[in-house]
Amino acid sequence: MTNHWIDLQHADCILIMGSNAAENHPISFKWVLRAKDKGAKIINVDPRFTRTSSQADVYAALRSGTDIAFLGGMIKYILDNNKYFSDYVLNYTNAACIVDEKFNFNEGLFSGYDPATRKYDKSSWVIKKDAKGLPEKDPTFKNPRCVLQMLKKHYSRYTIEKVSEITGTPVDDLKTVYELYSATGVADKAGTIMYALGWTQHTVGSQNIRTMCMIQLLLGNIGICGGGVNALRGEPNVQGSTDHAILTHILPGYLKAPAASQPTLQAYLDKAFVKSADPQSANWWQNYPKYITSLLKSWFGDKAVKDNDFGYRWLPKADDGYDSTLLSMVDRMYEGKVKGFFVIGQNPACSLPNAGKVREAMTHLDWLVHANIFDNETASFWKGPGLDPKKVKTEVFLLPAAASMEKEGSMTNSGRWAQWKYKAYTPPGDVLSVGDMIYRLMANIKKLYSSEKGAFPDPILNLSWDYADAKGMFDPVKVAKAINGYFLEDVTIADKTYKKGECVLSFALLQADGKTSSGNWLYAGSFAQDGTNLMARRKKDDPTGLGLYPQWAWCWPVNRRVLYNRASVDVNGKPYNPKRALLAWVDGKWVGDVPDGPWPPMADKEKGKYPFIMKPDGISSLFGPGMAEGPFPEHYEPLEGPLARNLMSAQLNNPAIKLFTKDCDKFSGCDPRFPFVCTTYTSTEHWCTGAITRWQSWLTEAQPEAYVEISHELAEAKGIKNGDRVKVESIRGSVKCVAMVTTRFRPFKIGDQMIHQVGMTFNYGWLFPKDCGDSANLLTPTVGDANTMTPEYKAFMVNVAKEV
Amino acid sequence: MKVTRREFLMLSGQAGAYLALSSCMGIDTKPVKEYVEDLKKIDKLKTAKQTTSLCYYCSVTCGLICSTDPKTGKIFNIEGDPDHPISEGALCAKGAAMLQTTELNEHRLTKVLYRAPYSDKWEPKPLDWAMMEIAKKVKALRDKDFILKNAKGQEVNRLESLAHMGSSKLDNEECWAITTMMRSLGLVQLDHQARV
Amino acid sequence: MSEGKSILVDTSRCTACRGCQVACKQWNQLPGTQTKNWGSYQNPADLSAQTWKLVRFAEGKKDNGKPYWYFFSDQCRHCIEPPCKATAGYEEAISQDAQTGAVIYSAKTSELNAKEIVDSCPYNIPRQDEKTKALFKCTMCLDRISNGQIPACVKSCPTGAMVFGDREEILEKAQKRVEQLKKTYPKAQAIDADTVRVIYIVTDDPSKYHQYAAS
Repeated sequence: MTNHWIDLQHADCILIMGSNAAENHPISFKWVLRAKDKGAKIINVDPRFTRTSSQADVYAALRSGTDIAFLGGMIKYILDNNKYFSDYVLNYTNAACIVDEKFNFNEGLFSGYDPATRKYDKSSWVIKKDAKGLPEKDPTFKNPRCVLQMLKKHYSRYTIEKVSEITGTPVDDLKTVYELYSATGVADKAGTIMYALGWTQHTVGSQNIRTMCMIQLLLGNIGICGGGVNALRGEPNVQGSTDHAILTHILPGYLKAPAASQPTLQAYLDKAFVKSADPQSANWWQNYPKYITSLLKSWFGDKAVKDNDFGYRWLPKADDGYDSTLLSMVDRMYEGKVKGFFVIGQNPACSLPNAGKVREAMTHLDWLVHANIFDNETASFWKGPGLDPKKVKTEVFLLPAAASMEKEGSMTNSGRWAQWKYKAYTPPGDVLSVGDMIYRLMANIKKLYSSEKGAFPDPILNLSWDYADAKGMFDPVKVAKAINGYFLEDVTIADKTYKKGECVLSFALLQADGKTSSGNWLYAGSFAQDGTNLMARRKKDDPTGLGLYPQWAWCWPVNRRVLYNRASVDVNGKPYNPKRALLAWVDGKWVGDVPDGPWPPMADKEKGKYPFIMKPDGISSLFGPGMAEGPFPEHYEPLEGPLARNLMSAQLNNPAIKLFTKDCDKFSGCDPRFPFVCTTYTSTEHWCTGAITRWQSWLTEAQPEAYVEISHELAEAKGIKNGDRVKVESIRGSVKCVAMVTTRFRPFKIGDQMIHQVGMTFNYGWLFPKDCGDSANLLTPTVGDANTMTPEYKAFMVNVAKEV
Repeated sequence: MKVTRREFLMLSGQAGAYLALSSCMGIDTKPVKEYVEDLKKIDKLKTAKQTTSLCYYCSVTCGLICSTDPKTGKIFNIEGDPDHPISEGALCAKGAAMLQTTELNEHRLTKVLYRAPYSDKWEPKPLDWAMMEIAKKVKALRDKDFILKNAKGQEVNRLESLAHMGSSKLDNEECWAITTMMRSLGLVQLDHQARV
Repeated sequence: MSEGKSILVDTSRCTACRGCQVACKQWNQLPGTQTKNWGSYQNPADLSAQTWKLVRFAEGKKDNGKPYWYFFSDQCRHCIEPPCKATAGYEEAISQDAQTGAVIYSAKTSELNAKEIVDSCPYNIPRQDEKTKALFKCTMCLDRISNGQIPACVKSCPTGAMVFGDREEILEKAQKRVEQLKKTYPKAQAIDADTVRVIYIVTDDPSKYHQYAAS
């Protein structure tokens, strides 16, 4: 979230799309309804009428996988009707910049596409630069090659009728949504988006979100109170686990993972960021060397010195272009190339797409280590349906883990608040926190490498691993302080001296010469200089009156509660909306939230900076080279969809997606055997695969077994009654479950066809409770978003038939 | 301030309420056992040690107050934290059921379970044995498969045959420790729920 | 007797998160029972000796063809003049708390004619435990409210769909809310507000929510 949960109350219009917030983030509705109480309009767009829809002022149905068409139509509406916030668009976006002549778009493909590699050469996706290296601009927006005009041209095809034909959303509903939402494109109105996995879990997931970002920029809704782009993140600490990079492509703090072509720290830094020639750009990423050096110092301590590139050589380097995200990881496991597998608090045997492939892949492992609080389908995969344990070689260690209230530490919520929690009691038996497990395992590995010879022992032996308390237990405070970082020597910065051993109180103080450490620069400042844990704060002062609660817990970065908040003021620092002023430039200083950088507003041509400080040019990109499939989002059908051709262009699917080709990776395009669009979701009463919640009788009582929701129209056509047992089948597998026949799903009229959509929860698995049904992911396809590889769980094709 | 103790406003009062004492853990179709004409739980709450925690399902992270018996250290009640500025004491079905994830749930794992190759059963094993056995397996695999240089002759110092998944349900400090450990071992295949 | 306490259940704010249903079980230490999916989100299908608070789900189509999904967090209404108490005529089995007005069942309800008691309830609330033959239902969390806390269900409610307080204050709240809702929903009403302590606000015909929503 650029904003935070409490901030939702300040919106004048809330679009909930790609999210079922009332069911999956139930307490968010405290704040959604407070906005509604103040007159805000709540819009919900979803293929299925949900508990969220029940509270919406406007509900509009759309066919799964057509969000870009829906939102592209909104961009057209905003531009055609001059609903955009022109001051913001002119100053804070690249709308006035001129696009390179070589850039073009034709029949669903942008310039530079290579069908052999399924990749784009992005060299034409650029803004023209003048002799000084500054972007060429036309502030009148008249130049047909300026971004705003190019945007207009691109979305001219997204007429409301065409959009309706693709999405199945009635024209009147589209008009209502477009009108209501675009009314926030004025200085004193805020519109916000609540999205979640309903947007990310598509082959065009990232572009779904980008389309909405562009709408938010056009309407001047980013950086303001009650606005923003708000990802309702799916797990309790998925923000923190992402920040701390249990991910293949990054290191803690979103620093890039080094690649094979970068043998030295300098070679790595040369590729790490782009520097703008514009003196008014903050060029934030020029601090990159400070962050990576401080990370290496936290990892390798005294062993990391300038002469050895601070231990950079010890970091593993994947080959350039190597993908090892979940789907590719499973693919390699299926090939037998992965021998050992740690799975901590995750249930891939039910949660990953084409779960049958995942389960088989695990039989190819030599050993599996799993930690959790209950048994699950991953730990017990060897005795799962269709498997004979006597034929499964995999050795399995199942470690009993502590639950959250059984350990001390912090979690970072969707609004980036890092909050500290305490241990309520000592768990029974041999239960250990995952922190303790990891601490002990690594300590043992270090011991083995120091007593015996082994392969490339340097990173292991040189790793700082002093994270135990006096009793030898994992000490979360010690780790949290290492993440925050220390001054390693006395350092004087701007006449102020910081002593060796003091906590770094902001990433602005980090050094590139090895005099500071910080395990994650974003968390520098989570401790005060004297070592006070700011994440543990519980004071509820509210100086702005906007519910920022700056002394409750701590928020990254540097306790800034709303990201890009310098875009909430005009170029002179005057709040666009004085009634909900996050920031104001008063008598030469910022008042309000922690500003996005200390510099004066951009009207000060000498010292002032542009507001989007993390962007190279300091302004936001309505056009940019960041995405794999194009600078403007374009509608493509899901990999498995009901249509034989894309009604928008000749390009049916996202041209940049990776295709998996194992024998079990089957796909069923427009196939009469699997005629219904299916989407998957979770329910309020269970969590993800149910690995935790299915063991709780209060929750299984409320949602006991797997079900598929289908419309009355489809039920009638298939002779299915409410509560009947049915089989849902895709080309990859089948699941037996209960049919829930409901008015909340309705067939879509797509072109001249009637298309049925159904939906299933993925909350169940074969292990427990007995006969509750198996995972819906036995049905889902192995395919991911072109940028993130997030699987397309939200749109694929199935058949539903009564069980005989 | 290690433990946040909230003051409950306790009024004296006679009440005829009762508590059904049947097991609240696991599926239980037994009848509600008996009535007790006292205020056992509310009295326990008055003297309980109260610890603040956070709900660990969705990313709203509502505040929790965990009540434990100061004598036995056992948990007996988990409710929303009314001081928490986001949740203000509220909890959804899952959050309200949090007590069933504690040690009171008979299904909780409490011992290391081990499954030998081709075996059809779990065997309980000592914790220390598992911790050393896994460390040995990591070392053996790493020593066998570690890649110093790739096909192009570039120095890569990585291990491809060991992979890691999870988790976004852990604390920040645990997440960071995992990344730190796995990268130092040379892993390039690490990923978790943030991807899905 | 003072005016006592009341609970407002404003169904127009309910999202059926079912925090209340589970919080009731948590506080009152009631077991989760074995259920089956019967084609509805509503589970358990009905109140029981082990389930004193149940979110009922009802769906259909509105006049404009769009779907509706109504949620009704059902529980004992704690009637001002409880017919169950009158029917029982046995204070040791069914009584009313003098301070709060909560209607309280004791173990001695096993001595009553259960069918007669259930039939006397206009809202079809009390349920008999098969083994002990005693009757069960919501206690208004008398243990909590007698000790300065609010009922477990009310505390868990995120949206303000449930509010607990002095009866006068709750009646006033209910009246204001209904007036406000009537602008959009002409059928909005506070069900049986004069005769019950647990007052439900609905925006459509009560029968669309639940057969026994109104007396």
